[in-house]
Amino acid sequence: MPSRLYKPTLIWLQGVTCNGNTHSFLNLPYLPQLLERFEVLYHPLLPCTQSLAETAHCKRGCDVLVFEGAFDPEMERAGTTLKQLVGHYAGEAGHVIAAGSCASFGGIFKASAPNRNSGLAFAGEQPDGPLRGRVGKVINLSGCPVHPEWLGYALMSIADGRPVAVDQLGRPTALYRHMAHDGCLRNEYFEWKVDVEQFGRKEGCLFYEHGCRGPLTHASCNRTLWNGVSSKMRVGTPCFGCTEPDFPRRNLFETKTNMSIPEEVPVGVSKRAYLTMTGIAKSFKIKRLEERLIDDD
Amino acid sequence: MMTKALIEHIEGEASLYFDTRGDKVTWAEIAFPHFRGMERMLEGRKATDALVLTPRVCGICGHAHLMATVRAIEAAYAEAGHPVELTRKAQSLRELTLVLEMIQNHFKWLYLVILPELEKLGVEGLAPAPLKGAFAAAQATKILALFAGQWPHSSYMIPGGVTCDPTHLERIQAAGLLDELIAFFEKETAGIDLDTLLTFASCREFNPLQSDLGRLEKGLIAAGMHKKGMAYDRFVVLGEHGFTVRARLKHTRPMKADASQVATEAAVCRDETSYARNVRYGKHFYEVGPLARAISADNALIKNMHRRYKDSVYTRVMARVYETALLLQRARKLLEHLELSEPSYIPPVPLERITAAGEGIVEAPRGPLIHRMRLERGIVADYSIITPTQWNLGSSVMSDPAPAQKAMVGAADIAEATFIFRSFDVCSVCTTH
Amino acid sequence: MSKAERKENIISTALKLFAEKGFYVTTIPDIAAKVGMSVGNFYNYFSSKDILAKELILYISEYLGKHIREINEGEGSAKDKISAIVTFYFTMATERPEMIEYFLRIYLSNREVFGESCEGMVCVSPFITEMMIFFDDGVAGGELRDQDFFSAFGLFMGYLGGMVFLFGEKILPEPLSHYEASIAENIYRALKTV
Repeated sequence: MPSRLYKPTLIWLQGVTCNGNTHSFLNLPYLPQLLERFEVLYHPLLPCTQSLAETAHCKRGCDVLVFEGAFDPEMERAGTTLKQLVGHYAGEAGHVIAAGSCASFGGIFKASAPNRNSGLAFAGEQPDGPLRGRVGKVINLSGCPVHPEWLGYALMSIADGRPVAVDQLGRPTALYRHMAHDGCLRNEYFEWKVDVEQFGRKEGCLFYEHGCRGPLTHASCNRTLWNGVSSKMRVGTPCFGCTEPDFPRRNLFETKTNMSIPEEVPVGVSKRAYLTMTGIAKSFKIKRLEERLIDDD
Repeated sequence: MMTKALIEHIEGEASLYFDTRGDKVTWAEIAFPHFRGMERMLEGRKATDALVLTPRVCGICGHAHLMATVRAIEAAYAEAGHPVELTRKAQSLRELTLVLEMIQNHFKWLYLVILPELEKLGVEGLAPAPLKGAFAAAQATKILALFAGQWPHSSYMIPGGVTCDPTHLERIQAAGLLDELIAFFEKETAGIDLDTLLTFASCREFNPLQSDLGRLEKGLIAAGMHKKGMAYDRFVVLGEHGFTVRARLKHTRPMKADASQVATEAAVCRDETSYARNVRYGKHFYEVGPLARAISADNALIKNMHRRYKDSVYTRVMARVYETALLLQRARKLLEHLELSEPSYIPPVPLERITAAGEGIVEAPRGPLIHRMRLERGIVADYSIITPTQWNLGSSVMSDPAPAQKAMVGAADIAEATFIFRSFDVCSVCTTH
Repeated sequence: MSKAERKENIISTALKLFAEKGFYVTTIPDIAAKVGMSVGNFYNYFSSKDILAKELILYISEYLGKHIREINEGEGSAKDKISAIVTFYFTMATERPEMIEYFLRIYLSNREVFGESCEGMVCVSPFITEMMIFFDDGVAGGELRDQDFFSAFGLFMGYLGGMVFLFGEKILPEPLSHYEASIAENIYRALKTV
């Protein structure tokens, strides 16, 4: 355990971004306690000790660099290019956190300039960007936006001196080993292959026709709820797979099927096994799952 | 002489270029240096994909973008002869979550921006506590998420309604959380109970308040902000909701407002490439936002302020904080009257059948947000977004300044001018989407 | 003879008897006599006629599934695979007509026998799954047109079943093999991308 007296210094920089990760972070319930553990040299919204202009001079380093947004080497912050900023601070820092899908894989803003923009260490699934090959030093916290609790987990682990194990895409296994499907309240409908029929219903599964990527997406949204209370699937919105390197895909509210057969099946399951299960499960009409749960409204 | 100031701790950054004589600001130009190309990204995609992409225009008001998109798609449906039916329940839920996003925005602006920045101007005794803003905002977005799934970046509004199917359980949870948030607002922000605050009719009533709002009000006067930062004293409100009155106002005199009169032009900045655009209604610049909304809705207190202090920084800032109170009350009312027995969603005809143009207008935290789209068989052929900050924070020529420019000219020094600039609640990511 | 072989023997014998005499007329003693075992011993293999009936349908379905899977996993275009499936199906109908007979005449027309545990696709799952894989590959590869599964499945299998029925009724002037190429062509043309 490192001494609690020493506070790691932290700098939060932004690339091509909507600031969604910054605002998501502000929702962290233990934000004040977390900020107590760091010396925040620069953050775009929170109190900090340096101005952006001072930060852009690259005079000193920091222990932890948090980067939000896609990496565009030519973009400038206070007159210094991101290439220089990331080069300097990532070189000095012991840990680099890519906060959100843009910083992890390029995300939405790779789509706007695919030849120029990337994540810090990946462009989609391909190792690319200024920190490519630095899996482990760069912790990818993908998600659009990043879940505040995921950021809290990574930063607290760093503050406590605990190593963070990551997968091949640099994402912490503790957070991304699960599928977004885990803990979904609609799982029973998935098991028995009962479709939601139409949006705006709490009954039914969104995987068959409505584009839900829960069983295909590494994320713990239904284990650690958003804003402490909910998730997309809980309010009848399909998971759009925003933690994956191929986000944003196209036709997000529809499931791609070939002759009614889903083109993609849950991760790690063979299509043959999945279709066998489906055919059998669909054969049983489970009355309870065909009915509305609450009829009084 | 010309001085560049980099404005940070807003949504993104802006550069201000000041001409000064002595310390006094004689002219200012505004540049927004970052551009992301959101509109182009949507072309060729199915219109419903925009419900996922446009919230990513902005991390602080993405929900307003979601609503503008869904309204634009629904307008295209109507234009194509297939009007979309919305239940009262769907409309109330949409308004409720929009209101909650505005509430979180206003809390953050007050605590993370305005109070710390006012202290930098030398005003004492403000005791700014930025994390109060984060706490209150997180509470507001928690209520929002009960219905919309998450914040930021929900996509729960879809053509024909909303995806959620809440029960009274969520409604009761939401009401409990809202009561807590109102209690926080009463104790920390207002220093008085909400209902009493909402009966205020004159600025004098703030005098006894021992609270952040009381200190802010006195601080604004101490900094002379009741005599500074006037713009054109012309306002526009375009978004139609249960809490807005659509109007164009000269001083406080209302006239009809027609969105087809709204057009944009390139911003002018001689010293830097700016990706911003200016917005005009007809030939003129107008101010938008909470102050505009309060005047068009005939709010007694804000009109009293306006009578005394015109469209000064004082009035602009107080109107935004006061709007928080109005919106908390609105959220409470919407929750109380939430009719859960209706369907959340009425399926419209398939999107592939829609070849038409549509416009969606929403009152976002900072004013009217306009999305215009043209669909060809459900695919986006053309998309354009006009954001509230483009109305307020245009950059034009000296003979015809945009509202924020006009407000900054005459400031005692650059520090004061940048505070005036922030009084408009700057959002750079929206300005250059 | 091992237990498995004996079970196999019971299955093929039962299929033949059901095809010859009909499902209801054929009794367990008939089947036991034909395979040369006591009725008591027969019950060690199948505890009732209904259970035997279900096992038969599963047996056929697995047999079909196994062969179509080989075709699916082999080389060739969707067009080639259609030909291969048609050829395999007609060969089976010619060489082991009792299997297709059982499927068409007994399973599809005596669903009450199969009620409880053969709902929907349960007993024909191996075969249907393989057809799903075939269609999915064909659409994903851009060769076949995307459409509803049952529209395509009905066209393919209804067509083959109909031909086998005509063949069984001695209506066809030529053996099934004579029609393979033209039928495969028809199916391909109906399903291919425009």
